[in-house]
Amino acid sequence: MTQRGVLDRRTLLRGAAGLAAFCGLNAASAACGGRKDAVRIATDDRWRQFAGTTLNFISENTAPTAAIAANLRPFTELTGINVNIVTLELTALVQKVALDLAGGESQYHVIYADPYQVLAPYSKGLVDLRELAADSSLPGLEGGFADFIPTQLDAAGRFGGGDEIFALPYDCPTMVWQYRADLFAKHHDRMADDLGFDPTPGAERTWEEYFRIARWFNDNTDDVAYGTGHQAKQHDSLQCDFSNVLWAFGGDYFDHGDRLGRYGTVEPGDCRLDTDPAIEAAQFYRRLLSIADPSSRTWDWNGLAPALTSGRIAMCPNWHEYAAGNEQAMPGKFGYAPLPRGTARSANIYGGTGIAINGNTLPNERRAAWLFVNWATAPRTQLANLASDAGGGTPTRESVYALPEVRAAEQRPSDLPNILTAPAVRKAWQPENIGLRPKIPMWNECDTAIYTQLSKMLAGDLSPADAMRETTARINRITDRGWSA
Amino acid sequence: MSLTATTPARNAAPPQRRGAPRRSRFGFHARMMAPGILLLAVLSLIPLFTVIAMSVSQVRLLGGVSFGFVGAENWARFLTDVDLALQWVRTLVFFVLTVGLEMLLGVGLALCLWKLLRGRNAVLGLLLLPMFVAPVIVGLLGRFLTDSTFGLYHWLLGLAGFEGDLLGGTYSAFAAVVLMDVWQWTPLITLIALAGLTSVPQSIREAAALDGASGWQALRSIILPSISGVLLVALLIRAMDAIRYFDIIAVTTNGGPADATKVVPIRLYETAFRFFDLGYAAVIGLVMLAVTVAIARAFVGILESKGLTR
Repeated sequence: MTQRGVLDRRTLLRGAAGLAAFCGLNAASAACGGRKDAVRIATDDRWRQFAGTTLNFISENTAPTAAIAANLRPFTELTGINVNIVTLELTALVQKVALDLAGGESQYHVIYADPYQVLAPYSKGLVDLRELAADSSLPGLEGGFADFIPTQLDAAGRFGGGDEIFALPYDCPTMVWQYRADLFAKHHDRMADDLGFDPTPGAERTWEEYFRIARWFNDNTDDVAYGTGHQAKQHDSLQCDFSNVLWAFGGDYFDHGDRLGRYGTVEPGDCRLDTDPAIEAAQFYRRLLSIADPSSRTWDWNGLAPALTSGRIAMCPNWHEYAAGNEQAMPGKFGYAPLPRGTARSANIYGGTGIAINGNTLPNERRAAWLFVNWATAPRTQLANLASDAGGGTPTRESVYALPEVRAAEQRPSDLPNILTAPAVRKAWQPENIGLRPKIPMWNECDTAIYTQLSKMLAGDLSPADAMRETTARINRITDRGWSA
Repeated sequence: MSLTATTPARNAAPPQRRGAPRRSRFGFHARMMAPGILLLAVLSLIPLFTVIAMSVSQVRLLGGVSFGFVGAENWARFLTDVDLALQWVRTLVFFVLTVGLEMLLGVGLALCLWKLLRGRNAVLGLLLLPMFVAPVIVGLLGRFLTDSTFGLYHWLLGLAGFEGDLLGGTYSAFAAVVLMDVWQWTPLITLIALAGLTSVPQSIREAAALDGASGWQALRSIILPSISGVLLVALLIRAMDAIRYFDIIAVTTNGGPADATKVVPIRLYETAFRFFDLGYAAVIGLVMLAVTVAIARAFVGILESKGLTR
């Protein structure tokens, strides 16, 4: 019954439904078609034309990003742009980036573009940075693209056969030989007498000598529990650790590995892990792991680093950016060298990454994002990160390594512990020594096949030859399926 | 008053009052239920049908999600995937071990607590603690405690003569992740079983005692049958969880070493969110869903046969 002037239940429900529909439509229109571009301010200062804009940068939780996050104020003061930094574990980052690109959104304007997990599969969703670098209304790239270390610009920034540059090299972790210099000095003469060669780590050492040094530590000292440790968990780290040996012995994942590593392709051809050099490398790797710390099979790079700094092992191959942590734990007791040679060469796997701009960004957002990408990879920012208490990596620009204060810091005592590795990584980055994984969009799946079969080999389930042949068959199946992003 | 009623002719049209509004096809109740049903459709049915569509498609992400129809290709791949078959076997072994151990230990602990007259609540409170920890934290705890550099359990096992690395061996790693799950979820079984035990009538137990039944006979013939319905519910809950076990393995072993702990949920995650092979991941997910539903139906069927669902 309805009384005059009193709302009955039906009217109330209708009103509520109408209001809900109105709100829903508004929300939907805001979500679907209401994206607004950043506002461009009329100013002569090319750095400040997007003041007031907010950018989102998604990055792996790495030391360089920790340093950037701690050192953002100069960028905000320079540009008036606020930057939100989201740091995640790499797998989670890749998921978020993929979903952002799939949704046609640019929730993340600036992307930490891992060459193998983001750049290769999603290069079509990233902006060609050459266009922004050439835009006269925007600040240019200090030193130009040529200031970046060439192998790194290719590996972290390009994909496919074109000239496009999708990312600027942002960090450059590279595996080097990390060792307890104090123990090598202490036992040098005895070791040299027993082994019959100078055990000092360096590019002239061979993997066979590395093996013998490790065994010598196992058998002859109580200073450490084991001579060597490795990152041989069933994880990406196992593939990285093995790749150093594979390339050193002349093996490779595919034909033309150098070109595949620098530029990448969608069609890599047949896998070559079933060749004799690859099998020889697998045999050596299994032998090496048999005398390594048994816990190596449970460590990734984050597990291996504390094993070295806690005094459990005398040496290991690990990413050079752990140097700062080493120096903090035992100042002055570590040394760094390029990884040993195999029958073919010394190979040091490169794990660097670039930062890219999401292709879904609107024009002004894109320009604002360029300001951040430009600043974050600028020489002065890289120098500041090198000295950051929050972590920091090593520079990706040649000009920074040439600075007198950086040159001076390569020797102890040094205020910039990461740069103590500079002589080792400089050799490691030379084209003949760098180790580059195949930059293919289906690498993640191939990577999993590689480290799973290697893990089976280390567990004794497969012989080295069978592991390599099985991996070859699996990789061929994966690449035969092709890729379409 | 007459109790006789006349039945209207079946085909006779109901009399319609002139000017009366035509009755809606959907009655009041249907209209009141509509928002809930729509919400359910959005939350369940649309994703389900989307996943089914994905399972016969190649899913592309760039430039907006798009499905390219590939027919039964993903399903054919599923039927010939030897690795996945092994992972299903591993999942079933894991399922039997975890659920079996949890039921045994949980009922055993519940019986001990039931007999405990003083401090039962305090002991129960302590016992329940693992259940309140997020599984991912249990995984991290397990990883740290078994770490060969600083892990307490590793050190204790070393004192007992175990030299290897718990998470480094294929059998020991599998046992470790089983035990982590058992540690976390046995208290749930204990709690449910204890609730069942407290509802066993005192009079029946006294009658059994007067008839001379031993403790074991009373347990086997009176107590366990009395709580069997409750135990089945516990089993149902844990069984459905165990088949989807993911967190602890992802944090501790990531499926290794040598695939020893790679169960189907880990493979599903890997396929969907590492390889972005969403079509094949949809197939794996749908089969997992079917298995989970089958297990649930089996338990509900047993409950129904016992007349416990009414």
